[in-house]
Amino acid sequence: MSTKLLVMVTAVVLLSACGGGGTTGGPKQGDKLTVAIGIDPDTLDTMRQTTTTVQNIVQMVVETLVRVDTDGKVQPLLATSWQTSSDGLSWTFTLRSGIKFTDGEPFNAAAVKANLDRVLAPGNTCPLCGPFRSVSSIDAVDDTHVKLNMKKPVAPLLGLLTEVTFGFLAPNTIAQGTDTFKDQEKPIGTGPYVLTERVKGDHVTLSRNDQYWGSKPNYKTQVFKIVPEAATREALVRAGQADVILLPPVSDIPAMQKDSTLKVILAPGDRTIFLGFNTQDPSQPLLQKPEVRQALNYAVNKDQIIKSILFGAATPMDAPMAPTLFGYCKVGSYAYDPNKAKQMLTAAGASNLSIKFVSPTGRYIQDFQAAQAIANDLSAVGVKVDGPRTMDWPTYLGTINVPPARASVDLHLLGWAPGYLDASQAMVQFQSSSWPPAGLATSYYKNPEVDSILAKANSESDQAARQADYCSASKLVWSDAPWIFLWVQRFPIVTTAKVANVQSIPNESFYTMYASPA
Amino acid sequence: MITYVARRVLAGVPTLWGVATVVFFMARLLPGDPARVIAGVLASPEDVERIRKQMGLDQPLWVQYLDFMGSLLHLDLGTSAHTNAPVVEEIGSRLPYTIELALVALAIAITAGILAGIVAAIRRNTWLDLVISGLSVFGVSMPVYWLGLMMIILFAIDLHLFPAAGADEPASIVMPALTLALFSVGLIARMTRSSMLEVLGQDYVRTARAKGAPFRVVVFRHALRNALLPIMTVIGLQFGALLGGAVVTETVFAWPGVGRLLVDSIFFRDYPVVQGLVLMFGTTFVVINLLVDLTYAYVDPRIHYS
Amino acid sequence: MHMSIPASTTAEAFEAESLAPEAAASVRPAAAWRRLVGHRSAVLGLSVLTIYAVASIVGPILFPFNPGQNQLTTVLFAPGQEGHVLGTDNFGRDELLLLVYGARYTLSLGVMAVALGIIVGVPLGSVSGYFGGWADIIIQRFTDVLLAFPPIVLALALVAGLGVGLRNVVIAVGVSSVPSFVRLVRADSLRLRELPFVEAARALGVSPWRILLRHVIPNAIAPVIVQATLQMGFAILLAASLGFFGLGVQPPTPEWGELLGEARNYIFSDPNLATFPGLAIFAAVLAFNLVGDGLRDALDPRLG
Repeated sequence: MSTKLLVMVTAVVLLSACGGGGTTGGPKQGDKLTVAIGIDPDTLDTMRQTTTTVQNIVQMVVETLVRVDTDGKVQPLLATSWQTSSDGLSWTFTLRSGIKFTDGEPFNAAAVKANLDRVLAPGNTCPLCGPFRSVSSIDAVDDTHVKLNMKKPVAPLLGLLTEVTFGFLAPNTIAQGTDTFKDQEKPIGTGPYVLTERVKGDHVTLSRNDQYWGSKPNYKTQVFKIVPEAATREALVRAGQADVILLPPVSDIPAMQKDSTLKVILAPGDRTIFLGFNTQDPSQPLLQKPEVRQALNYAVNKDQIIKSILFGAATPMDAPMAPTLFGYCKVGSYAYDPNKAKQMLTAAGASNLSIKFVSPTGRYIQDFQAAQAIANDLSAVGVKVDGPRTMDWPTYLGTINVPPARASVDLHLLGWAPGYLDASQAMVQFQSSSWPPAGLATSYYKNPEVDSILAKANSESDQAARQADYCSASKLVWSDAPWIFLWVQRFPIVTTAKVANVQSIPNESFYTMYASPA
Repeated sequence: MITYVARRVLAGVPTLWGVATVVFFMARLLPGDPARVIAGVLASPEDVERIRKQMGLDQPLWVQYLDFMGSLLHLDLGTSAHTNAPVVEEIGSRLPYTIELALVALAIAITAGILAGIVAAIRRNTWLDLVISGLSVFGVSMPVYWLGLMMIILFAIDLHLFPAAGADEPASIVMPALTLALFSVGLIARMTRSSMLEVLGQDYVRTARAKGAPFRVVVFRHALRNALLPIMTVIGLQFGALLGGAVVTETVFAWPGVGRLLVDSIFFRDYPVVQGLVLMFGTTFVVINLLVDLTYAYVDPRIHYS
Repeated sequence: MHMSIPASTTAEAFEAESLAPEAAASVRPAAAWRRLVGHRSAVLGLSVLTIYAVASIVGPILFPFNPGQNQLTTVLFAPGQEGHVLGTDNFGRDELLLLVYGARYTLSLGVMAVALGIIVGVPLGSVSGYFGGWADIIIQRFTDVLLAFPPIVLALALVAGLGVGLRNVVIAVGVSSVPSFVRLVRADSLRLRELPFVEAARALGVSPWRILLRHVIPNAIAPVIVQATLQMGFAILLAASLGFFGLGVQPPTPEWGELLGEARNYIFSDPNLATFPGLAIFAAVLAFNLVGDGLRDALDPRLG
């Protein structure tokens, strides 16, 4: 930015901050922003969260120590600074002072401790706690300093702490020994919005917190309408009855992009879509050969499928994880080459390979439709494909999430989106310790070298070293090809042209905090 | 009369028990591990186990069955595995919406259906009859979601008349109710027509007309009253069908009712909610049946003397 | 579903009056056929069904087509584009050929589901009505339990449990049609049981099963035929609802309900993906209903 522009912008920002909500030169103020989402929130309790979109909403009410910005980088939020001990076994956070919860309680180290103790309490359900369980205790050193002690180093701790699972609720509302210690459905936090209404199955309404410590949002209320049918969501935004919608029918994206009354945001995401091979099936020795798996990678015409079936809502994978993750490095490509695929298959003695193929339906963008196109591509290089068969999600999960001895399919379609943008959560798919039922590494991939690199990287404190480690591990995985690497799904958001500044965060989150009327 | 009522009520009990048993086993025979589904793909095995214990799924089947039956006798429907809220709360917060939708749809269907059926019967084999019969058959032949989406496109987007989805405004109920009603209108119209035709062909009607009674009196005082019985039966059945048929309508129009809850719960393997809802549908069916029977017996004295 | 079917045991009294004894006991086929053919809308229905049946048999022979083959270069053409009369679908397959190929799945689905309902429902209903007593009570309770489940719920649960695909959709839909046949045949059996010729057979010592098979069931058949045609329409619609949830017949089988369900994500960009299968389904169900109406009028002269 030129200096003059920088000065002007700074002036505007300062003016609007001092004005305490004044509209001189700032973004327009609005009354209500309506966002149509596709799922019905199961719980609003921070601790019990499992779904990104619900977390998205709760994050507007409850804040965490650190947050992810729209570029995917970790930024301070309720913590202003932090440091680790040299052995990586304790982290100390300096908290922002002068903040109150919306019920008047002060935000301080005691509040932090109360919340983090809660998620770790045995008997409490915390599905996304994950590596946080290595934290053994939390000390409130003084009012503005908190120390986390852990049993072993947790390298991605900062990323982890951006999840609203580790957000802070007013301590009186989660007192030990009460029902709300296990399940708090009316979260009270420190955030820019408060929860004012929830009608199950219909909507969640948030109202602006006018005592918020940071910059205040421009919309007085934000209403999240629950609209399960994608076509209906699109109808809402076209009729102007919703300002923002998530996940429209993809086939309409080209038309909506041409429509001047709508804005389409193909937000970068972190969800990799892939086909997992069963790499441990003794009755399929051919699939245990990396050359065969690589050959099949070359057989799939990813670009064409992205264009015709996903309507551009994805980008081909060039590494075992999405580019938005910390630890990503570009590894290579398996560009579509059916002749090469055929050659490689013949050379490996796999010219009459036969595989069983399954795919979910309606879980990822055009999942089953893409699977059918992929089956075609595989048949075109001489593979006999049984399927793709589909079933509802729980049945599907039950089919693929089994130990190798009970596996019944050779190839399955799956998506994987780390909740916090760190390679450790993505690479867990390639760790032999994550084979089902312990984890969801449904390819049963086992490479001792990869295991040891990942073990090192997951506890390494030096971020540069971590980055290098994940990169080497990625290269090994890429050439071993336990997956057919497909694409990284985008997160389509559509808004009307009457709304501005709707952004996204690369973990499949929308960011309407500072949206404003256009 | 009292014994008759008592007999009918008693007959409902084994039905309900049957429904409860069937849904209990059906839910548990659905493939897939509900604890895993509810915990989510990122949850640790410990969390999955904890949820499994919470749902009582670690117990042998017969123990679960007895627990289930026992809590039913206390009118305790348990806790939703998906949201951890009491099933009664999950159902209770959504039921009024479905009832409202079903009642409005039924009201439309009854009014339009009976009127159309009467007209068609009186003007039999004229073009009016053909049009009405045609539209009625049209009503029972239409795939619901297609109709719903077409209506959204026409009335919400093109004409800006009604809200496309949700339940916020009073006008929001119009499109879902019309969509839901269409099937029943057709059914009721056809039923009314054939029932009226039959009654109009009876001797006593001919007698009344021969005696000089004005046609309107004949139709409403004599014919309709007798034709009403089978119509009422159909209406009684339709209420239950509407509750179930609301499933697709509620999904398309984002109407926050129990139809959607039921489908979602099946997909989430949320047994307690599925069980609670199906029991509720079953009880509604039994109660409505009972009411229809009682009205029959009241109106037609021949019946309870048999 | 339940057109003229009483909801309860007491309503049987009404049902028994509805077909005059003489007329029902001896429906003269020739006269009935004449009445049916004279019924204009029924003829229309029959014609539509005939066209469908012929197309479903002849079409695949004349135009070889593999629904499993995608042509990603011809995706989503508008009707009339490049010789595709009805356009192409999201996999590039010609829409008209899809409908022609899909006809036999949709139609046979309706027929098989109803056949299942009849095979299970008619014997149960006749036993229930003729023998009465405990058999009646148990069968009636069982039917009540089935009826207490809204059809879509029963179908969804069965398909989720048994798995997707044509065979299980037939089972799921067939099961939900059983109660109507049970009730129908029971009502008629109750009535027929009291008729002189049946009493005579009993007096002569003919075995009850023989009476059921030779006398009761054949005379209860007429309303069953009517109901069957109407149920076929409902079966097709119920299968289409399953397709809406992606749990019906599976792609690439081009069953019409499945095509309609697939189309829900293209409703704005390419509405003809939904319109044509929707119209095809609608016409089929309509045809079944018209034929059913005609049959009912033809077989019951008092309404004529």
